[in-house]
Parts: sequence; C-alpha cells; structure tokens
Amino acid sequence: MPRMSQATASIRKPHGATMSVVGPDHPAADAGKTLEVRDLNHTYNVNGKTTQALKDIAFNVSAGRFLSIVGPSGCGKSSLLMMLAGLLTPSDGTIAVGGRPLTKPDPTRVGVVFQDASLFPWLTARRNVEFPLFLRGVDKAVRREKAEEALALVGLERFADSLPHELSGGMKQRVSIARGLVQDPPILLMDEPFAALDEQTRITMGDELLRIWEKARKTIVFVTHGLSEAIYLSDEVLVLSGRPGRILDRVVIDLPRPRSLEMMAQPRFAELREAIWHMIKA
Amino acid sequence: MATRDAVLGYGAAGAVFLALWEAAPRLGWIDGRLLPPFSDVVAALGAMAATATFWQQVQLTLLETLTAFVIALPVGALLGVLVQESRFASLVFKPLIFFVFSIPKSIFLPIFILILGIAFWQKVAFGIFSTVFIVMMTTFSAVESVREDQLRVARSLDASTMQKILFVYLPSMTPVLLEAVRVAMIFNFTGILLAEMYASREGIGNAIGVWGLGFQIKELLAMVLFVSVLAIGFNEAIRYVEAKCEHWRN
Ligand SMILES: Nc1ncnc2c1ncn2[C@@H]1O[C@H](COP(=O)(O)OP(=O)(O)O)[C@@H](O)[C@H]1O
Ligand SMILES: [Mg+2]
Repeated sequence: MPRMSQATASIRKPHGATMSVVGPDHPAADAGKTLEVRDLNHTYNVNGKTTQALKDIAFNVSAGRFLSIVGPSGCGKSSLLMMLAGLLTPSDGTIAVGGRPLTKPDPTRVGVVFQDASLFPWLTARRNVEFPLFLRGVDKAVRREKAEEALALVGLERFADSLPHELSGGMKQRVSIARGLVQDPPILLMDEPFAALDEQTRITMGDELLRIWEKARKTIVFVTHGLSEAIYLSDEVLVLSGRPGRILDRVVIDLPRPRSLEMMAQPRFAELREAIWHMIKA
Repeated sequence: MATRDAVLGYGAAGAVFLALWEAAPRLGWIDGRLLPPFSDVVAALGAMAATATFWQQVQLTLLETLTAFVIALPVGALLGVLVQESRFASLVFKPLIFFVFSIPKSIFLPIFILILGIAFWQKVAFGIFSTVFIVMMTTFSAVESVREDQLRVARSLDASTMQKILFVYLPSMTPVLLEAVRVAMIFNFTGILLAEMYASREGIGNAIGVWGLGFQIKELLAMVLFVSVLAIGFNEAIRYVEAKCEHWRN
C-alpha cells in the first residue's frame, strides 16, 4: 500500500533530469545545499603505516534528498560518514552543514544512526531517545514531549518504557533513528543501519525509513553496500571506488515515488543496478 | 517458575543439613564436644546476643570492615580506571599488580602489626590491603567492558568528558563493579577477621580466636554461624542487584 499521500508527493522536488558527475550544483539545489563537502582527502596513519582511505571527495546534498553512498568494503564509506558526523577530522578538505563549517559533532545539525543500534541498555527506549536532550540540559517536560514525538514518528510509542533487551533488532534500530531525530537536525546520517538485520526485517525497515523520511522531511545520507537497498531507497546514489575511495559517479534514481517492492522487478531497476555494479567492478 | 524451584531446592538442602547437624551429635555419630547440636549453638547465640559485649564486638568489627571497604573500593576503582586508561601505566603497573595479587596477603600481617600496632587502624589498613588489588583487577575488566560503540554515540552527541564518565562509563561498568563490590567484601572481611584473630583484644575475630583456644566450641560455632549469615546476606543482596542489571552486559 502506498504510504505517501499525493499532497506530499507533489511537494517533493522533481528529480534531476539526468545523472551527472560530481557537479557542485545539483538541479535541485535551490532549496539550499544542506551539506557541502569540498576537496576531502583522508589518510590514516597508524604506527607509521599510512592508509589512504579517501581521495578527492566533493559533493553537495540538497535539502530533503535521500542520498546513498555505495562502494566496496573498505573503500572508506564509514570514514566519510564519521567525518560528516564531525567524529573524524579529515586530513584535508572541508565539510559544511547549513552553510556553516562542521568541525566537531553537533547533534542539532547532524543526527547519526550507527550499524548496531548502540542503545544504552540501562535506559528505557524513551530515555535513550531523551538522552541527547538530557546532555544539553533541556527541561524535563520538553524532553519528554520531544521524545514522545520522535517515538511516535518511528511507530514505537507503545514501547516507550521497554528496555532495549526487550526489543527486536528492527525496533532497536527504530529507537536509534528516533534518538537521531529528536533534536530535529536537518540531516540524518546512517551507516549500514540495517546490515545486522535479517532480510525480511531489512526490507520492512527500508519502507519504514522511507515513511519516516517523507514525514520528517530530512536529508538522509545512507551508507550501504547493498546496491538494491541503495536504489530502492534513494533519490541519488554516490558510487565510490575501491580504496582509496574516489567518487566514480553520482547516479540519479529516476524511479517514481512512492517506491514499492514490485519496482525491484522492473527493467529500469535492473538497469540502474547493472550500471552501478559495472562501475564498482571496473 | 525456575527461581521458585531454586529457592525450594536451597531450602530443602538447608533443612537436611541442619537436621544432620542436629542429629549427628545427639545420636553419637560425632563427638558432641567437637560439634554441639545445632539447637545448642542457636541457644548459645541467643544467650550471646543478650549481652552488651557481643554487640560491642560486632559493632567494632563491622566498623573496621566498612571503613576499610569505603576506602578500598573507590581508591581501587579509581586506580583501576587510571591504570587501564593509560597505556604507560598499563604497561608498568599492571604486571606489578598481578604479581602482588597472587601473593597471599596474610604473610604481610606481622609487618602491619609492627608498623601500626594492634588497634583500629591496623585492621583497617590490612583490610584495605587485602581488598584493593582485587578491586583494581576487577576494574580493569570493568573498563574493558565499556563498549566502543556506546562511547561513539556519546561523542556524536557532543557529550563532555564528565558526561561520558557519568552517563556512559559508570553505568556501563556497574555490573562488573558490583561483582567487584561482592568479591572485595569477601576479601575485606577475611582480612579484618584475620587481623583481629592474629593480634587484637577485641572484635569478632578475636572472640573466635579466644574461644577456639579455650575450647568453647558452642560459642565459637555460634559466632561462625552469625558471621556466615552476615556474609551470605551481603553477598546475596549484591547478587540480586547484579542479576537485575545482567542484561547490561552484552
Ligand atoms: N581507525 C582507523 N585506523 C586506521 N585505518 C582505518 C581506520 N578506520 C578505517 N581504516 C581503514 O580505512 C579504510 C576504509 O575503512 P572504512 O571507512 O571503514 O570503509 P568501509 O566503511 O567502506 O568499509 C580501510 O582500509 C580501513 O582499514
Ligand atoms: Mg563501514
């Protein structure tokens, strides 16, 4: 059943006509470039051994877009995401969110969801979601209200008082999404958030994420190594090469929304998947 | 329910044990002078509990034990965290702490007596000495049990160092620290009682020692019973709390 109302659909900006390489300005950029990445390079230096992880990364993401980053394992996807989260300082290059440089974690601008939900097992779902606000010293009543809102958004209001170990893997990850969204940041970063889930749950969570995205109207940067998952969810897919990760292409996914599982069987889906697969393989 | 069955099981085993204890000396299986019947020992305990001396002894020993404990626990935990978190200190002090841990602490008791005499602080000092190494060792694993991904979440939320310590490290370490508390108390109590037995004019340990030498088995066993109940009670209370936060460990 299509989850997105027509009204919401028509508000969404049309997708870029054709795919383009690393253009700084995307056709949909008029809503403001939420995220700008310039000339990013990163080299790890561990005990005198250097590993170049990322090379010449530059891209923008406009407000409200769903961008996936795909690439072979070890190509620097997680490193890139950690930099976008302000958790890792790039050797070189700049990152700006909402027009201001990002040099350290700022959960009011960027929410992060990690592969393992990483909830605090001693806190209930509600308190886990409240935690970012708690750290900021937000008033208790406000905290509660915001957490309730975020939990409702991910459909877990009934489980507010459950402890993480009482929740399933998918539910934990939804709590983690609620925690990422509770401060209403314009951007949500997700690093292979569903990789640890079973196939069935992963597909459900994908639809669930799209529903949340439609409703919360966030920019999402989603790292995955699953091509189908990337195509199914995204407006655009950023394809990285093997290490050191370079941007091979930025593919616009011109499948209509709302997405449905049947689309995966359409020729266009297969075409896109094939195209991306060839880039990575080459 | 599993816990209910377990309680019944313990109860039954305890009842059988006490029945045997009662019956063996009465039926002449065991010399009643070496092992008086359970009811006699309980009666002796009752008589003792009616005296002021008993409670003075108990009070003194508990005060020594608690004083040593409230010093050894935070000091051991703090040192444990500092050593574990510093690569240099880990390298230098960890082997040392492991070595000292493996030496029986009781052989140092005469040195403590030489330096500190036989009063209150000698026992407290020896209690701390008996306890602090096990606390440090448990704290090492407690720090290691703090999960990297949870720390990363805190960092991504721009938590301050203090916030990380209070809201991630501490709760994360709690299950292991509770275990430290439990095990440390056993070491601590042992140290204090030993110090009292070896060189003291007062306290539970001293009383047990004196009764042993004077062949006052009934009183001796009464005190043993009392101390056992105390120790088991503390141990089980902490274990109960530990079980409550068992799911914190992954
Ligand atoms: N903390 C680190 N120290 C040193 N090298 C690292 C570190 N993290 C990642 N790397 C290296 O950088 C490369 C990219 O890693 P990562 O960003 O995790 O890739 P991906 O998420 O795409 O699998 C890999 O070769 C990895 O070994
Ligand atoms: Mg990764």
